[in-house]
Amino acid sequence: MQPISATNDFVVKFANVNGSGSASANELFARSVLRMGVPVASRNIFPSNIQGLPTWYEVRISGDGWLGRRGGVDLMVAMNPQTWDKDVAEIEKGGYLLYDSTKPIPASKFRKDLTLLPVPLTEICNRAYSDPRQRQLFKNIIYVGALAFVLDMDLSAVKWLIAEQFENKKKLIAPNLQALDFGYDYAKEHLKGVCGLKIRHADKVGDRIFIGGNDAAGLGAVYGGATVCAWYPITPSTSLAESFTKHCERLRVDPVTKKNKFAVVQAEDEIAAIGMVLGANWNGARAFTATSGPGISLMQELFGFSYYAEIPAVVFDIQRGGPSTGMPTRTQQSDLMLAAYAGHGDTKHVLLFPEDPRESFEFAATAFDLAERLQTLVLVMMDLDIGMNDWLCKPLAWNKERKYDRGKVMTADELEAGKEFGRYLDVDGDAIPYRTLPGTHPSKGVYFTRGSSHDRYARYSEDGGVYVEVMQRLLQKFETAKSLVPKPVLHKAKEPAKFGALYFGSTSAAMDEALAALESHGLHIDALRVRAFPFSEEVVEFINAHEQVFVVEQNRDAQLQKMIVNECAIDPARFISILHYDGTPVTARFIINAISERMKLGKAREAAE
Amino acid sequence: MINWQSNVFPGVLGRTCDRPCEPACRRGRVEDEPVAICRLKRVAADSKDDISDRLPKPAAQKNGKRIALIGAGPASLTVARDLLPLGYTCVIYDADPFAGGMMRTQIPKFRLPERVLDEECGYILGLEPETRFGQKVESLKAILAENYDAVFVGCGAPRGRDLDIPGRKEAAEHIHIGIDWLASVSFGHTTKIGKRVVVLGGGNTAMDCCRTSRRLGGEKVDVVVRSGFAEMKASPWEKEDAMHEDIPIHNFLVPLEFVHEGGKLTGITFEKVKAEYDAKGRRKLVPAGEPPVHMACDDVLVAVGQENAFPWIERDSGVEFDEWNMPKVDPVTLQSTHPKVFFGGDAAFGPKNIIWAVAHGHEAALSIDLHCNGKDVTVRPSPLVNILSQKMGIHEWSYDNDVSLDLRFKVPHAPKELTLKDVNMEVELGFNRELAFKEAQRCLNCDIETVFEKNLCIECDACVDICPMDCITFTPNAAENDLRGMLIAPAKNLTQDLYVSPELKTGNIMVKDEDVCLHCGLCAERCPTGAWDMKKFYLETAKAHACSR
Amino acid sequence: MTYIAKPKLHHPGLPTNALGFTRRDYEGRISTLCAGCGHDSISAALIQACFELDIEPHRVAKLSGIGCSSKTPDYFLGQSHGFNSVHGRMPSVLTGANLANRELIYLGVSGDGDSASIGLGQFAHCMRRGVNMVYICENNGVYGLTKGQFSATADKGSKAKGGAVNTDSPIDLVSLALLMGASFVARSFSGDKKQLVPLIKAAIAHRGSAVLDVISPCVTFNNHAGSTKSFDFVRDHNEAVNKLDFVPAKKEITVDYEPGTSEVVRQHDGSFIKLAKLHPDYDPSNRVAALTYLQEREAAGEVVTGLLYIDPDTQDLHEHLGTVDAPLNRMTEDDLCPGVDMLETINAEYR
Repeated sequence: MQPISATNDFVVKFANVNGSGSASANELFARSVLRMGVPVASRNIFPSNIQGLPTWYEVRISGDGWLGRRGGVDLMVAMNPQTWDKDVAEIEKGGYLLYDSTKPIPASKFRKDLTLLPVPLTEICNRAYSDPRQRQLFKNIIYVGALAFVLDMDLSAVKWLIAEQFENKKKLIAPNLQALDFGYDYAKEHLKGVCGLKIRHADKVGDRIFIGGNDAAGLGAVYGGATVCAWYPITPSTSLAESFTKHCERLRVDPVTKKNKFAVVQAEDEIAAIGMVLGANWNGARAFTATSGPGISLMQELFGFSYYAEIPAVVFDIQRGGPSTGMPTRTQQSDLMLAAYAGHGDTKHVLLFPEDPRESFEFAATAFDLAERLQTLVLVMMDLDIGMNDWLCKPLAWNKERKYDRGKVMTADELEAGKEFGRYLDVDGDAIPYRTLPGTHPSKGVYFTRGSSHDRYARYSEDGGVYVEVMQRLLQKFETAKSLVPKPVLHKAKEPAKFGALYFGSTSAAMDEALAALESHGLHIDALRVRAFPFSEEVVEFINAHEQVFVVEQNRDAQLQKMIVNECAIDPARFISILHYDGTPVTARFIINAISERMKLGKAREAAE
Repeated sequence: MINWQSNVFPGVLGRTCDRPCEPACRRGRVEDEPVAICRLKRVAADSKDDISDRLPKPAAQKNGKRIALIGAGPASLTVARDLLPLGYTCVIYDADPFAGGMMRTQIPKFRLPERVLDEECGYILGLEPETRFGQKVESLKAILAENYDAVFVGCGAPRGRDLDIPGRKEAAEHIHIGIDWLASVSFGHTTKIGKRVVVLGGGNTAMDCCRTSRRLGGEKVDVVVRSGFAEMKASPWEKEDAMHEDIPIHNFLVPLEFVHEGGKLTGITFEKVKAEYDAKGRRKLVPAGEPPVHMACDDVLVAVGQENAFPWIERDSGVEFDEWNMPKVDPVTLQSTHPKVFFGGDAAFGPKNIIWAVAHGHEAALSIDLHCNGKDVTVRPSPLVNILSQKMGIHEWSYDNDVSLDLRFKVPHAPKELTLKDVNMEVELGFNRELAFKEAQRCLNCDIETVFEKNLCIECDACVDICPMDCITFTPNAAENDLRGMLIAPAKNLTQDLYVSPELKTGNIMVKDEDVCLHCGLCAERCPTGAWDMKKFYLETAKAHACSR
Repeated sequence: MTYIAKPKLHHPGLPTNALGFTRRDYEGRISTLCAGCGHDSISAALIQACFELDIEPHRVAKLSGIGCSSKTPDYFLGQSHGFNSVHGRMPSVLTGANLANRELIYLGVSGDGDSASIGLGQFAHCMRRGVNMVYICENNGVYGLTKGQFSATADKGSKAKGGAVNTDSPIDLVSLALLMGASFVARSFSGDKKQLVPLIKAAIAHRGSAVLDVISPCVTFNNHAGSTKSFDFVRDHNEAVNKLDFVPAKKEITVDYEPGTSEVVRQHDGSFIKLAKLHPDYDPSNRVAALTYLQEREAAGEVVTGLLYIDPDTQDLHEHLGTVDAPLNRMTEDDLCPGVDMLETINAEYR
């Protein structure tokens, strides 16, 4: 068996124990590769646990710039005895295994086809450090040093990063550099020329940044003018609220008074969180919460209130594996139907589907504009993959001229001038009424907000006709929303295609790669990335323009497809579902396999392999 | 019929009454203007269908008693209306050839069309009194000699007061006594007047004179009054109507002299005066010290008051007169010192107005009936009273309790361009039914009483909270004066009694100041135990006639 | 209830306040509650208090949950924005509204079902945070809109109209508020406006979470013999610890009082509360003693009313969070958006 040989195109996976300090070392590795100008896609696969359970970190090094999961592992850094067997089994044929060789491991625990990269990590640590905690932490840096050598990396890039990372704790720089050298030197001495995987300097990263989606969305909320964040901790959304807080503390503190131009409240539960968001938005502040599936379930009653009483609200749903508590630390796109129709009675909400952290930043800000323009709830449907993993993406962008769209808020001057005010009165024909903020005018524009049936002037009414009129206008408002939400993005095949593919959100990275691979094997598929619900006309036109349409989703029930069938009245037989929902991010290989199988064209499968 | 029974001339009074009821209207306690009671009576009268089958018929059997009625004005006609159905024989005397008295001679037809007066007089004449119209009574003794069982004097106050200042005699041809001139117009004897007319006087007669002048060729008509505008006797709406017809009213001018050229009137001079008040607040008009004012004119109408005149009542007839040359009349029974002779209307206590004349008529008829039956006229029968709960459902009442917030509606007028050309064209068009209904809804239902039952009260405060007028207070008891100050809205109108309950469970009492109660019934609707109820109070004053019983 | 609107006509001698408003200008729509409902009396007390405090109605936001009590914000302050939210969630919605604009006055109106059952958590947490609000619980011990079930504040042993006896322990919202850190805690009775109105005024002037537990008899379902929330029972067992006199800040008057029988509390906004001590030993500045006293009197079957606890120097949520003085809802792009150049800096940090 020939050992794998590859340059700038392979997968390294780290198998660690949760809470051992491996995360920062692993990230150091990924960032070092980026510093060499080589794109990486990294993913955390972690347990719902604080300490002691298995956790993995997967780094795909892709000179071609593919950012989805590829599938398979070329080099395993196996640091967790608990998962050793499974980890070893997962390595591609002819792959590599880096492990702590301090303790003898029986031959039966290895595979014959693998190239072993033994490093006596514990032994090195024990020799160098007396504090057990230090031993454990630096063990991680040591294997990064060893990797740097075996993969032929630029050691100076790694060292620079360490220096940057500990800029504020300078005394930690030297010990870390030392540990790095321990590993590098050991490998240089013992593992020279055994590894066929190499990383070479390239210029494929450009001005791209490496950022997590929650972090970017939190920053997007800052840029989008959010002033109130009410939240309740839940994986994988927590870091979004924390990011908002972090960025606000830097960007939103009045330099003179040192007072905050933001308010973050950790609520007692998700219901209180959305309650605060509605209260603040009702009162004219841009407010949001971040949560995940279980939180969405809990917030439903107030979601319905937002829809019916027409109060703006922004909610980030960082989707995780359901149902119930499900797989809290795994990714899925399985809250679509829940979110779209959350609430009892006839209820619908606007959903946005960002594809990566950059778009999460952008959509975060857009969501506030849309929520206030449409006076309704807008959900930004991220997922764990986008939210909690660092992604290589284009720099975050902001237009200097951009103004917030605060929607139709009638001012005291307009009221004073005698402009007619009816809280639920459609004066412009777009089904969006005017609202007033409490405290605006002493005698005009006052209204009573309620979740019970009301007429155009917000008066309670149990009249069927009055009720229907309001419900019909809400439907019409949803039509208006179609023209305001982000348009879908079309990837046209090089040749005319009978097949089309719909996808959305974090599937984008794997989809790009899959489409390119299929195309290079002569399989032409037009693809449309859906970016919002309600679906705009382009979605319907795209489907109508293709005989068969694949719908690639990361859930079991083909939720996007069902929504399209329902909302756009399209024959279900036109669709072919490609569904991936094991909790890991979908891979290009999976998509290629599924599509090529369906297209009955074996060539595509070969291409994938 | 209710309208007709008590006020006898709803169509007439609905147009011409000076509305003593409206100042009493409780709507005027909660906003500026009372309900337009007067004009609503007109709508009721105008809008009725044929009522002849509801009217009393001439008595089938006469009771043999004969009553003489002197004058065919509203007082006498009322007596006739009340007595005729009882079988009395009523003989009505009047110098004029028609029934109606001053209603016909003094009220211009543009205010009161003849057909209305004819109709309402006709209802009484239909009861078949004997009429001696065109026959001026010259002697009470002569009448008494005809052996009437009673005599009712309702001859009005027929003499217009004159103004004896220099030039009066010389320029007499163009100086007219207001009421005489109006009568002359009414009977068609006078059809023209000079282009420039000055009307002296500030009462309703003056207003009728000036407005009539405008219709008979008066182009520049001025009203000149001694007193200030506010103190003028004319009803405010009469003043408004005059001014609307481009008639200026000049105040604080006392006539000094009629100026004439060889007997031909050329104008009047006036002295300017001002009002001064003495320590007791009494007003006195004193010269303002300014040069006299001259007003050129072709004709003058003197409308400075009316007087009673009884030249035909012999002073030895048994009817005694007082120091002002007025008959001594009992204000309740209307009996004079001659037991058979009764007075009513302006003839009794000097000039008042039609509605008083009617009231006198009712009381006098009752007295005459008592007298003729040998009973003591001072023992007046009690009125009929009745009180009845109005509750229909949980928030439903058998009266309209939803208080209208409308302000008083204006009565539409015919265009001035037309009415000024025709002395017989009625100015006021009257409310139409819709407006009338809305105006009637302004009524605060004085006939509804809020009745409190202390045993049912749990002192929950619901009535206090809902009462729009803050009428109700729960408080410890105290003497009346102290209590008035302890109310949520302290009671200002001391003539309005407080409604006070016995002591309640907590030791407090319920006090209700009825003064501005709207009778909206919300206290009773809000009361969880029914301690409050809304009851309708019905009162019918005793009358001689029995047509409704 | 009644369906005709309360006539706009008012007593010609009705006084006006400093703003030229009469008390009637503070009214809302006609109540749709049952005739005689204690809640309507509380609305009337709120109207009176706001009138006397010269509050501009549009500077008040009134929020509620679900239930009979929560319908009442429609029935007072017709010129204030109202928010009738969902069951038990008024505190969070109000908290959010307060975060958006700290300048308005926030009235939270709730009931015993809304606050002591489904909303118990939010009740507790808004106290903990010190949200600057008046929290009025219109407490009748019964579910009215669903026709007479016991609520969580119904006393153990109290009888329902149909005869059923409550076997569950009651939740005492006043004690809970004290435990949760509310800085103004009072109990009153809808049938005693003389006590209630000054309490509401003092609560509005208080900065922080002011809780008013107002026993409000349900005349339809809970005003019979055997009920412990009836007019008769409360009147018979009412033990007022003090009598309140509220003096607003703008009135420059010297408050004279006799130490021992009365005391004066100066609030953050400069207003005074003059307390006539009806129970000489009762000290409303002592949270622990207040709790003890409440437990003792409750065990003795008494309903303690009055101002039970006040901490005039407390900090509210905005002070905890260090937010700027200007309302957050008035901030624009200039205040909020860090701009393009800053974004370039941030991008660089992620390379």
